[in-house]
Amino acid sequence: MTLHQHLPSNPRSIKTRFAIRFLQTLKRLNKNRPISSSLREIHGRYRIVKLAADASMASVVGSRRVWSRALLWKIRNRALRCNSMKRKRIHALRVRRRGGGGHPTRESGFGQANDLRKLVPGGEVMDICSLLDETADYIKCLTTQVQVMRNIADLYTS
Amino acid sequence: MGTEDNGDMGFQHRGSSSGMNPISVSGKILGRAMSSGAIIKSTNGADPFFGSGWDSLSMSQSENFGGSSMVPLTDVANPPFPLLLTNQAIDSSSHLVHYPSDLGLVDMVPKLPSFGSGNFSEMVSSFGLPESGQITNSGCPINYLRNREGGTANTSTNNADCQENCQVSEEGSSPNGRRKRRASNSPSPMNTNKNAEREQHKESSKDSSECLKEQEEKKQKIEQNISANLRGKQTSKQAKDNSNSGEAPKENYIHVRAKRGQATNSHSLAERVRRERISERMRLLQELVPGCNKITGKAVMLDEIINYVQSLQQQVEFLSMKLATVNPELNDDIERILTKDILHSRGSNAAIFGFGPGLSSSYPFPQGIPQGTSLSIPFTTPPLNPMAQVASRCHYPAPSLSSFED
Repeated sequence: MTLHQHLPSNPRSIKTRFAIRFLQTLKRLNKNRPISSSLREIHGRYRIVKLAADASMASVVGSRRVWSRALLWKIRNRALRCNSMKRKRIHALRVRRRGGGGHPTRESGFGQANDLRKLVPGGEVMDICSLLDETADYIKCLTTQVQVMRNIADLYTS
Repeated sequence: MGTEDNGDMGFQHRGSSSGMNPISVSGKILGRAMSSGAIIKSTNGADPFFGSGWDSLSMSQSENFGGSSMVPLTDVANPPFPLLLTNQAIDSSSHLVHYPSDLGLVDMVPKLPSFGSGNFSEMVSSFGLPESGQITNSGCPINYLRNREGGTANTSTNNADCQENCQVSEEGSSPNGRRKRRASNSPSPMNTNKNAEREQHKESSKDSSECLKEQEEKKQKIEQNISANLRGKQTSKQAKDNSNSGEAPKENYIHVRAKRGQATNSHSLAERVRRERISERMRLLQELVPGCNKITGKAVMLDEIINYVQSLQQQVEFLSMKLATVNPELNDDIERILTKDILHSRGSNAAIFGFGPGLSSSYPFPQGIPQGTSLSIPFTTPPLNPMAQVASRCHYPAPSLSSFED
């Protein structure tokens, strides 16, 4: 199998960039944390791998989309929360954000929109129109993420 | 996604400078095909702009819209028509509403009566000829312009004629087909004469630059005529419109026209615009979520969307669990090889639902489950918390997941 046989059709597509970034993250992860088969370790790794996948997906999309910004914000806050020094400030920020966000739920026939808001990161503060927009983009990115991760997993387990 | 952003930026610019003649503004944006920019800018009539707007659309569609979403395409196509109506009182029973919007002209509502069936992809694809498309499409406004030159009094029939001509010209992808159809379908005798002349003229001069020059000259002439006519007929109306546009040079307003038989209350118009925006997005989502073609109704559609997003998130969690257990030997070479294989071993990955067919055909799954971990049997015996969470939330395609146990 030579390297020149398979060239990515679009080197700058989201799929390519996500695949590259995710693989780099995985490589770094595996260097830092040795593999162990205890369930606890595996659970910890699972959480880190999931975080890495979401973070690399969101950073590939960048700040163009509300959901990617919200996701990156959440991840960074989680990292900051680990530092006890900044806990108070982060907590205050979160409270303020929740209060100011509000819940635009006045649209008729969109009772399930609240469920959708919980699913899509950053969906609490959007109106229905942009929520649907963000959902469409989020679904597209999730499908590419699933495809790439599935291919990686298949390649490793073969 | 980048193409969408470029399109959005363009729309915002358009909306912010709406104080100018809206035709010229949108013409600037649409006329990224450089040669036809002048044509679009100089016309004042509804249909010449309409026709030329289409041909610039054909030029710009490839660069602007990568086809990832239909929303910007429909929005670009639609603005010409209602915008132009604001300058001419064609429909006396209509009502003009200024509707603020943050997206500016992107959110125009409009239903083009002759193109109301809304099969935009067909329309656009018929315009998708790079050079020849420009010529064929501009033939339509030429016809209209000749009609105006002829001095027909009834503007509405003119518009209807030109719309039909536009429709006809859009159908014909080949020049021969176009000529025949236009000749056969043109309703008024004036049209047939002009068509015959036009086509002979076209046959003689196939040079695109020459055609464009002629069109430009004619359009400028026509523009003067049209402006003279308008000045004669509707001085007060135009003055009002100009003053209105002058007053609000930097507001992003949508000009919406109420259709016949609909409420003209400003609130209901705004509601209608909003509803149509929402239904547009729902249509997009319908295409993204597989298996939702037959669903009509927002509630059911929303349920499907929610389920789909949940299932995708579950799949991500499951796959990350799998990756956590796997022991990867990652060297640089392997990484590069893997990258290329990953991007190309999609194979039958079209259906995200089916984990069975989703597993690439070259790597049968069951053999690859690493021994020594109880995680290899998912969803049936969840030993860990994450698996338990996943199992409890797994109400989306359960049968497909059981294929793991093969």
